[in-house]
Amino acid sequence: MWRGLWTLAAQAARGPRRLCTRRSSGAPAPGSGATIFALSSGQGRCGIAVIRTSGPASGHALRILTAPRDLPLARHASLRLLSDPRSGEPLDRALVLWFPGPQSFTGEDCVEFHVHGGPAVVSGVLQALGSVPGLRPAEAGEFTRRAFANGKLNLTEVEGLADLIHAETEAQRRQALRQLDGELGHLCRGWAETLTKALAHVEAYIDFGEDDNLEEGVLEQADIKVRALEVALGAHLRDARRGQRLRSGAHVVVTGPPNAGKSSLVNLLSRKPVSIVSPEPGTTRDVLETPVDLAGFPVLLSDTAGLREGVGPVEQEGVRRARERLEQADLILAMLDASDLASPSSCNFLATVVASVGAQSPSDSSQRLLLVLNKSDLLSPEGPGPGPDLPPHLLLSCLTGEGLDGLLEALRKELAAVCGDPSTDPPLLTRARHQHHLQGCLDALGHYKQSKDLALAAEALRVARGHLTRLTGGGGTEEILDIIFRDFCVGK
Amino acid sequence: MFYFRGCGRWVAASFTKQQFPLARLSSDSAAPRTPHFDVIVIGGGHAGTEAATAAARCGSRTLLLTHRVDTIGQMSCNPSFGGIGKGHLMREVDALDGLCSRICDQSGVHYKVLNRRKGPAVWGLRAQIDRKLYKQNMQKEILNTPLLTVQEGAVEDLILTEPEPEHTGKCRVSGVVLVDGSTVYAESVILTTGTFLRGMIVIGLETHPAGRLGDQPSIGLAQTLEKLGFVVGRLKTGTPPRIAKESINFSILNKHIPDNPSVPFSFTNETVWIKPEDQLPCYLTHTNPRVDEIVLKNLHLNSHVKETTRGPRYCPSIESKVLRFPNRLHQVWLEPEGMDSDLIYPQGLSMTLPAELQEKMITCIRGLEKAKVIQPGYGVQYDYLDPRQITPSLETHLVQRLFFAGQINGTTGYEEAAAQGVIAGINASLRVSRKPPFVVSRTEGYIGVLIDDLTTLGTSEPYRMFTSRVEFRLSLRPDNADSRLTLRGYKDAGCVSQQRYERACWMKSSLEEGISVLKSIEFLSSKWKKLIPEASISTSRSLPVRALDVLKYEEVDMDSLAKAVPEPLKKYTKCRELAERLKIEATYESVLFHQLQEIKGVQQDEALQLPKDLDYLTIRDVSLSHEVREKLHFSRPQTIGAASRIPGVTPAAIINLLRFVKTTQQRQAAMNESSKTDQYLCDADRLQEREL
Repeated sequence: MWRGLWTLAAQAARGPRRLCTRRSSGAPAPGSGATIFALSSGQGRCGIAVIRTSGPASGHALRILTAPRDLPLARHASLRLLSDPRSGEPLDRALVLWFPGPQSFTGEDCVEFHVHGGPAVVSGVLQALGSVPGLRPAEAGEFTRRAFANGKLNLTEVEGLADLIHAETEAQRRQALRQLDGELGHLCRGWAETLTKALAHVEAYIDFGEDDNLEEGVLEQADIKVRALEVALGAHLRDARRGQRLRSGAHVVVTGPPNAGKSSLVNLLSRKPVSIVSPEPGTTRDVLETPVDLAGFPVLLSDTAGLREGVGPVEQEGVRRARERLEQADLILAMLDASDLASPSSCNFLATVVASVGAQSPSDSSQRLLLVLNKSDLLSPEGPGPGPDLPPHLLLSCLTGEGLDGLLEALRKELAAVCGDPSTDPPLLTRARHQHHLQGCLDALGHYKQSKDLALAAEALRVARGHLTRLTGGGGTEEILDIIFRDFCVGK
Repeated sequence: MFYFRGCGRWVAASFTKQQFPLARLSSDSAAPRTPHFDVIVIGGGHAGTEAATAAARCGSRTLLLTHRVDTIGQMSCNPSFGGIGKGHLMREVDALDGLCSRICDQSGVHYKVLNRRKGPAVWGLRAQIDRKLYKQNMQKEILNTPLLTVQEGAVEDLILTEPEPEHTGKCRVSGVVLVDGSTVYAESVILTTGTFLRGMIVIGLETHPAGRLGDQPSIGLAQTLEKLGFVVGRLKTGTPPRIAKESINFSILNKHIPDNPSVPFSFTNETVWIKPEDQLPCYLTHTNPRVDEIVLKNLHLNSHVKETTRGPRYCPSIESKVLRFPNRLHQVWLEPEGMDSDLIYPQGLSMTLPAELQEKMITCIRGLEKAKVIQPGYGVQYDYLDPRQITPSLETHLVQRLFFAGQINGTTGYEEAAAQGVIAGINASLRVSRKPPFVVSRTEGYIGVLIDDLTTLGTSEPYRMFTSRVEFRLSLRPDNADSRLTLRGYKDAGCVSQQRYERACWMKSSLEEGISVLKSIEFLSSKWKKLIPEASISTSRSLPVRALDVLKYEEVDMDSLAKAVPEPLKKYTKCRELAERLKIEATYESVLFHQLQEIKGVQQDEALQLPKDLDYLTIRDVSLSHEVREKLHFSRPQTIGAASRIPGVTPAAIINLLRFVKTTQQRQAAMNESSKTDQYLCDADRLQEREL
């Protein structure tokens, strides 16, 4: 085993030959499979955005978007007019680069589109690429995996990239959570559930229909469900506005125990009275969000309910929402009352929220946290500091404004790191991904209807479900078996 | 004749192959030596027989140890083989030259292909089997397998020695100790003990130790394994009562007749041993509310159902059917046990009620009003070993050269056992000859899915094969198992006969040629419509249509196509199997093209192998969460592909693993380089010494 790996490594070190050799069988080395695309420049304000593709259909995609021109010279920057292959509508005049494999980042055929960075252009190009057959949005870390598999990354590059991938997957997880929070998420999960159940029933009919007595009409019911799903998906895709409000910018969430002054900070940072403030703990009960410009970065600032247990149902719901929002944050502003550090709620907050984010090594986590101690004005100037055991923190008084400059400077640094990270998945790409997978699902459902062979029909449902579960998560076989054994009395 | 201390009865495997023990003895001067084999297989059930014959086919001198020679090939539960998913496994076992398919073609009494209307990818070959014939035919085959010796005896302990340094594992197995204290040595040992590990039979409130009704359980062996550190779990299964045939009123029941013509299981057979008209029918009846009532009233007398030992999610016993799906009529199939058997097997009535209540319940059922129970149904509880403790070649992580196959790994079913048996037999043999393991990937066969599921995910209920577990179901079909596995079995494992190999090669190249010819013939759809008027070809498109696309239509087959275009298609209709397989290939052609891309992706990840000796719990320099470490530590995935299928192992963890492996390789490589230089130096020193 070790020896095998070493040979692979040696091959990789020697050059662009394939890293992967098929174990023991004489089958030829596998090809690279699908062609993937992604926005590879950072989010936030930028003049030029870079969109990259990798895979065998890259050249085809480039030709289609730049029709009627032919492929540009390999590895030369050329100016081309990009247009949407479906409508012929011009998208942008862009620099394109064509890297035929193996001399490319991933070792496969690659294309780079350097387009003007506006959201409309980027979104248009991403959607145009998504419509080219054989292309799909890249999964987390997929470019790196391909480069690695083709022996294109040397050790230092992989060292650096591994951390990046982690950040990338973490960021995508949060991104997915954000996008799936709300109407669209609700819809997607509902569709995935319906589809999983329909598939489970078709699978049950295949695996048990002959031997065990399934109820009458299992297939017919699955058909009805699939048809309804098709109608719903079609309507959703035609109405492109629904549930697609883009919430761009870094997500900064203010959290802390009740009455730490979270709402005061939000009002201070946004320079407007977003949240009601009062001396009463538990004033904020819902998540309030406001788009602000912080130190030059677009930020979506969320004020949340103070974290505490044993309160009324309304506030409890607020606390649940606050925790959910915390999961999705790029940057957490953790707030404590400097004069109240010994209280159980403060200690509990430090032990759970602050410690759990802080415990991850910086390279391990892409979620950042700033600990802010408010009400510094209540500390006696000559008295002892807030305590030696505290993690690094900033002192602030929302009342007097003391410490605000320091906080803004710290925010600037953190936001530069968050927004400058080229791996975070901008909402534009998320939208392209949604569209791609929903359309893929709809197409597959069309095949289901046409298939007379039940194995083929089930395959169409499997493909359709695969598209939806890319958006919602889940999707294993066990889920299917659970439904089969829950709904039917089968087995011997 | 070969003999050693006080062992049970020896059964000479094959008289032509006696030269091995004789030769070993005669080359030794006087004292009878302790016997030594390449491979020992413990257990003569469905896994054991396949394992022993596969090892022998691969050229290993093999010993099959069983409690009783006359139970070799015993079908302990249902009198049938195959079915949906299970039939797929049998075709794959056959493709690797395994036994069960061929024996079934000689022993069946009712052959039927299930799912005929649902598409060839999910056809389920099945047959009711004559138990007695199966056992006879199996024993004849086993006792005539070259290089295979059979001996009666119960194994009590394993002989363990120092591990081989180049492999992981804390020790190595080198033989077994029998109950009578005698020893047999071997290079590899395969355990296929089925339900015998601390087996316990349950009827009503009575329990007694037994691996199968009338057979002793293996307790010493179970203790040995536990002492070695194997994680042991407990599973339960059951079997229905057997009913006297003449006590059943078949005339009022729904009769089911076999297929005509019968479809054989084996690629090497064109027909089965018996004509359809001579085969036996099955009958269908149903339970009723009175059955429910008896079950519910007597739960307190039924310890098997009450026990906390986790049963499967599916419903194996009538009790669980009644409990989970009350107020329904459940099917009961009345299946013949054999040509001259007086017994009927009521499929669907597995139960553990006290014996007297079993008869009372059965006589409530239509057609069984006067039924006599000859043998009561019973439950079995037994130990299994968490299959995450074995590699995809079925060798254990803990003990080198020790292999597990069959129910011991938590599976249920003859076919699942047979499939593992073949793989264990091949790998035990390859291990002896120091060749790389033979692993079937998820992309290559149901066997691969079965073993990958077991070794990466483990199981908490008896694992049964379903086609829904297989992601590449359209590619892994019963018809093409030979193209998928026979060629590899011949080249990589050496377990396939020359004749079978040549047949599979011929079929594969004929199919490829046929498909390319079908792709090359193109006419306008209007012309096709005229040529094959019975086909519903749409003439709306003006583009030329390939013959392969026309063959996709339900009402078109190779015969009608060859009638329309005799040249060059006529020759492809001469071989029935070829013509049918071309039709199937055409049916799935467009989907298979897409599936191929996905398969390649999976294979790419499977080609990236992880070092076997990684200690996931302690490795530094790799950022993995504790949870991920624990999971990797327990399952010990062999490839990045397998690691990524373990629930909870994130893409980031995968990339980190890749990075770690690559770093370590470089270090390892550097070390190898320097040690090589040292080696040269030593050689040079020695040379100089000699010269001096």
